[in-house]
Amino acid sequence: MKSIRARLVIALTILVAMVSMLAATVTYRRVLSETSVLFDYQLRQMALSLRGQITMAPQIEVPPDQGDSDFVVQIWDLFGTRVYLSRPGLPMINQIVLGYTNLSLRGEGWRAYGLQTAQGVIQIAQPIRVREALARAAALRVVIPLVLLLPVMVAFVAWIVGRGLLPLRHVTAEVQRRDVHGLSPLVAPDLPLEIAPLVNELNRLLARLEKAFLAQRAFIADAAHELRSPLTALRLQLQLLDRAPDPVARRCARERLGAAVERSIHLVEQLLTLARSDPGETSPTLEPVDLAVVAAAAISDSRILALTRHIDIGLDAEPSSVVQGESEALRTLARNLIDNAVRYTPPGGSVRVRCRPTADGAVLEVIDTGPGISPADRERVFDRFYRHPGAAENGTGLGLAIVKAIADRHAAHVRLAEAPSGGLRVTVDFPTERASPRSLS
Amino acid sequence: MRVLLVEDDVMIAQGLETALRQIGAAVDWIRDGEQAAAALRGTVFDVVLLDLGLPNRDGISILRELRQRGDATPVIILTARDEIRNRVAGLDAGADDYVVKPFDLDELTARMRSVLRRAAGRGGPLIQHGDLCLDPAARSVEYKGAPVNLSAHEYAVLEALLQRPGAVLSRAQLEDRLYGWDEPIGSNAVEVYIHGLRRKLGSEVIRTLRGVGYFIPKS
Repeated sequence: MKSIRARLVIALTILVAMVSMLAATVTYRRVLSETSVLFDYQLRQMALSLRGQITMAPQIEVPPDQGDSDFVVQIWDLFGTRVYLSRPGLPMINQIVLGYTNLSLRGEGWRAYGLQTAQGVIQIAQPIRVREALARAAALRVVIPLVLLLPVMVAFVAWIVGRGLLPLRHVTAEVQRRDVHGLSPLVAPDLPLEIAPLVNELNRLLARLEKAFLAQRAFIADAAHELRSPLTALRLQLQLLDRAPDPVARRCARERLGAAVERSIHLVEQLLTLARSDPGETSPTLEPVDLAVVAAAAISDSRILALTRHIDIGLDAEPSSVVQGESEALRTLARNLIDNAVRYTPPGGSVRVRCRPTADGAVLEVIDTGPGISPADRERVFDRFYRHPGAAENGTGLGLAIVKAIADRHAAHVRLAEAPSGGLRVTVDFPTERASPRSLS
Repeated sequence: MRVLLVEDDVMIAQGLETALRQIGAAVDWIRDGEQAAAALRGTVFDVVLLDLGLPNRDGISILRELRQRGDATPVIILTARDEIRNRVAGLDAGADDYVVKPFDLDELTARMRSVLRRAAGRGGPLIQHGDLCLDPAARSVEYKGAPVNLSAHEYAVLEALLQRPGAVLSRAQLEDRLYGWDEPIGSNAVEVYIHGLRRKLGSEVIRTLRGVGYFIPKS
């Protein structure tokens, strides 16, 4: 778990620690240098004030030990004999250096000032630790308030973050209420700028999901509805077969029962084909497909129907009418188009299937001598289960929907127009060879 | 019994037509909504079987027009639309019953008898008149307690006359009850059936009003 709150608290603590250290260091340095100047001045002043007293050396009145200042005074005469030491028992500084100097004595640092007078040398020394202690205290005074402030800042940040994230909790509760039956947009007022885009995207996703669900539900409802008709016919004919009064009636009922079974099978097959042609289904494997081969196969599928209806089917294929696609799906597309043409064309008519390459792909055309489709109906015939008035008996209303779905998968374009003969001309325009099938957007 | 079958699905219509003819009904089948509305304006039917999804005109609109005219012809909606709101809409538009596909043939004919019974103002399933007793479900007749064997057409004529005792039905009106539009009618078929009925039930049951038609007197 990566808690924003915990991260902020840790980051803040680190930041405060760094600021404290920096402030302490800077303060320490500055205080140390300032006190150094002051103490150096003091050392010199003391030395100067003792200048006139060297002669009466042993009786010298050194300011009483001021505890923390730890001054040590030594006086030498002109012969180099120490004539005075203010604090006997302390380690001796035996060096005589004039002016300011830093000394080290038994591991401790000292600051000393030596003054040459007419009578000898006066040296005042002080441990450096005194100065350092002062600087330390000053630095501590800066750091302590910062450290004390830290818990307050942490608590404040935690509170701000908690408040800032409150809308997220609201959104979470809203999302929890959603399921496939209720994909309404999330309602979350007063969202912070940082969370609003997430909710917007979620709402867009919900809208897309709802659309997909509705489409699927509509498809299932349509399919269930459409299955009722052949099933009704089946049940009727079965009951008629049971109660047929004579052999003639029985034979008639049996034939019709067979036809009803065929029709049910056809409908189920078309429904499965349509479901498989859905753009959301498994990604297709593309291969170069010659439309002439596909069209010939589809024509042979429809040959028997054409023979019984006395329809002449012909194929005009130009070479290299090749597209990238799925050969099975393209055969289904062609079969549905040719099947429709054969069904709607009156006996004695003809169906022409053409394929040819174009500048940027290839085209498949099916032209019949049937009644055609009125311009008003040309959009609607692609709807699932739509059968225009006067449609062929027992059609499933799925043929052109399947054609459209397969064409969409191949990024191909389907156009309906009137043929010169007055029949229908269906043109499927396949784009360039690298045509990528449309993925579900 | 004359039935108007409004159904655009050929297979279902053929099956229903056969089944209804087998029980002696005269069936007129129409696929188109507009033509169905026109047929209802011109012809009297005993019962209408009405699909809802029709070419050119929806079944509900046909039903509304019928009821707005004050026509009380029994209508049974026969449809694949099974949702409650569809049933409610159908019944509220004036349907007497609502049957969802795929239906059972026996249930459909029982429902047809039921709406016919209600249309005739009868409560019980049997049609009683004097010594005559008709059972529409079994399509059987008893006269003075003994079963009488009638042909389908004889039964249909008797049933038509018993729907409203005392009312006179002309030969043409009786023919309408026996034959659909496209069925051939024998020139003196009705006289043949009346003759057969009189032979089996006695000459007093069905009376002739010369030049007008036939009737069964109110008891």
